Amino acid sequence: MFRAGSSGTVQIRPVSAIQVEKLTQRFGAVAAVDDVWLDIADGEFMVLLGPSGCGKSTLLRMIAGLLPPTEGRVLIDGVDVTHAPPQGRDLAMVFQSYALYPHLSVARNIGFPLRARDMPKRAIEAKVADVAAALDLAALLDRRPRELSGGQRQRVALGRALVRDPGAFLMDEPLSNLDAKLRAGTRAELSALHDRLGATFVYVTHDQIEAMTMATRIALLNNGRLEQVGTPEQVYDEPASTFVAEFLGTPPMNLLDVTLRSGVATAPGVTVRLDLPDRDLILGVRPEHLQLTTGDEAMLRGHVTRVENLGSEEVAICAVGAATVRVRARRPIGPRAGDTVALRADRFHLHLFHPETGRRLVPLTHQEISCVS
Amino acid sequence: MTTKVSRQVSGHVVLGTLGVLCVFPIYWLYATSLRAPGDIGSLSPLPWPLSLDNYADAWRTIDLTGMLVNSAVVAVCTAAGQLLVGLFAAYAFTVWRFPGQRLLYLLFVGSWLVPFQVTMLPNYVLLSRLGLLNTIAGVIVPTLCSALGVLLLRQHLAGFPRELLEAAAMDGRSSWATLWTVVVPALRPVLAALGILLVINAWNEYFWPALVLRDNAMVQLGIRSFMGTEGNDWGPLMATAGLACLPVFALYLVLQRHIVNAFVRSGLK
Repeated sequence: MFRAGSSGTVQIRPVSAIQVEKLTQRFGAVAAVDDVWLDIADGEFMVLLGPSGCGKSTLLRMIAGLLPPTEGRVLIDGVDVTHAPPQGRDLAMVFQSYALYPHLSVARNIGFPLRARDMPKRAIEAKVADVAAALDLAALLDRRPRELSGGQRQRVALGRALVRDPGAFLMDEPLSNLDAKLRAGTRAELSALHDRLGATFVYVTHDQIEAMTMATRIALLNNGRLEQVGTPEQVYDEPASTFVAEFLGTPPMNLLDVTLRSGVATAPGVTVRLDLPDRDLILGVRPEHLQLTTGDEAMLRGHVTRVENLGSEEVAICAVGAATVRVRARRPIGPRAGDTVALRADRFHLHLFHPETGRRLVPLTHQEISCVS
Repeated sequence: MTTKVSRQVSGHVVLGTLGVLCVFPIYWLYATSLRAPGDIGSLSPLPWPLSLDNYADAWRTIDLTGMLVNSAVVAVCTAAGQLLVGLFAAYAFTVWRFPGQRLLYLLFVGSWLVPFQVTMLPNYVLLSRLGLLNTIAGVIVPTLCSALGVLLLRQHLAGFPRELLEAAAMDGRSSWATLWTVVVPALRPVLAALGILLVINAWNEYFWPALVLRDNAMVQLGIRSFMGTEGNDWGPLMATAGLACLPVFALYLVLQRHIVNAFVRSGLK
């Protein structure tokens, strides 16, 4: 649907790099964003991911200049813009509600930023026509926002951002008001648009699928602090904390409190050999990495309490001691409710976390982990 | 079922009675104004034969055209000024955060609670010193800031989507430009409705113009020309009062829906 750049009609000028240094936002005693450092490179698709209230939108608004930070700096292309108004930052923003001007037609909504720059009327009309053609909005130019569907409004909001040729695009959950089908389609189109424009995108979402499918890097926030920054593969495969491990993945990673003594990590129903010094640990393993086993290599033993059908896959919910462990596999998974199961995982799919801080412990080598019969 | 019907009937009877009680004085005003000069004291509910002599008499005795124009100027300028001041103040209170904001807003609201009689004398003295007594400007200027206007517009602006203001800032508009290109067009129905209310309010004002204007330059004051120590000249008095009411009634008839809207939107219903 988005054809920006494909016909050579919408051109983005050299893109911006954004640096965030020690950025903090306090509302009274509450730190909504706490000491965040982040480098967003030219042309990067950075997704700020986290649960509601984690500070991701606040961080984006500080980058946009809509909210002055309590502390810290924002640099765009190396220039300190911390105290510059939004107009002085050359950034475009797409809002969650799209924020279309209700009294203006689609054409005037898209052309609004250009009129603010006193661009000649002819040039504005030409530019608006270009963007509208690229976004399949040409037939809707005379309509008012209330006469558009959610998807069309979203494209108008995007058009209003595109028309300015900004240094970077900021997007605050732009897909959250779309239905599931449209969201999936628009996700792919946004990624394609990013690839074609090569522009810097900073995208806020609480949806891990959006983050995993679109981002070149993900910055995961929790309680105003950065938990981890990395490629989608890095944050999924090597979560820096139990928070990241649980936030990414459906179902989330299984986390088990274990005690490591004499090279064997144990808990009720859990027995894993780890060649590490004695200590308490949190052992993590993703549901899709657990396999049913009948042999001596079982790490977890328990019984199935329920099986959920996801269509192509099933999730078996198992009671392992007092803990709940989920196993995801192709349908049919095999055991049904009430059956006893033994589970194993490859060694390199095990994750270890500090029991108090929840931070990831040193990467494990194959030799350090083994199973006991 | 019968109880429900009887309740409905009694409800309508009460409403009808209240309606008649409200409308009757207005009917009596026009009925009296249309009686022949000799029948002014008549208690007959229907003015018959109809006569326009009282209107002609009023037109001859006082400068009705000039008075109506002055009243219209005062009403429109006062309403426009109150709307503008209300818009600026409400925009500032809603959009910006500044020290003492809450206190300042409370003072604004508090000024609404101060009785007119308290501010009347200081305003009068100030006008006297400025040389604005007995001028139309003297009637308008002290009423330009209406706490009610600020209060109502702030209420509307509080519900205005903040993202629209932020989008305008991102699109390169200053606060001033945002006010005129985003806020005012989006609030046009509210501003129109509130404007009508303020015009009616200003049109119906009697006491303050009576204090400032020594000559009866407004139609509301022109009425008193027919009141004297030797008795009232009821016919022309009722005719002038009837004429003074006509613009408000006309405004109400044409813009009935907007006026009701203004009350509904302002939460004053």
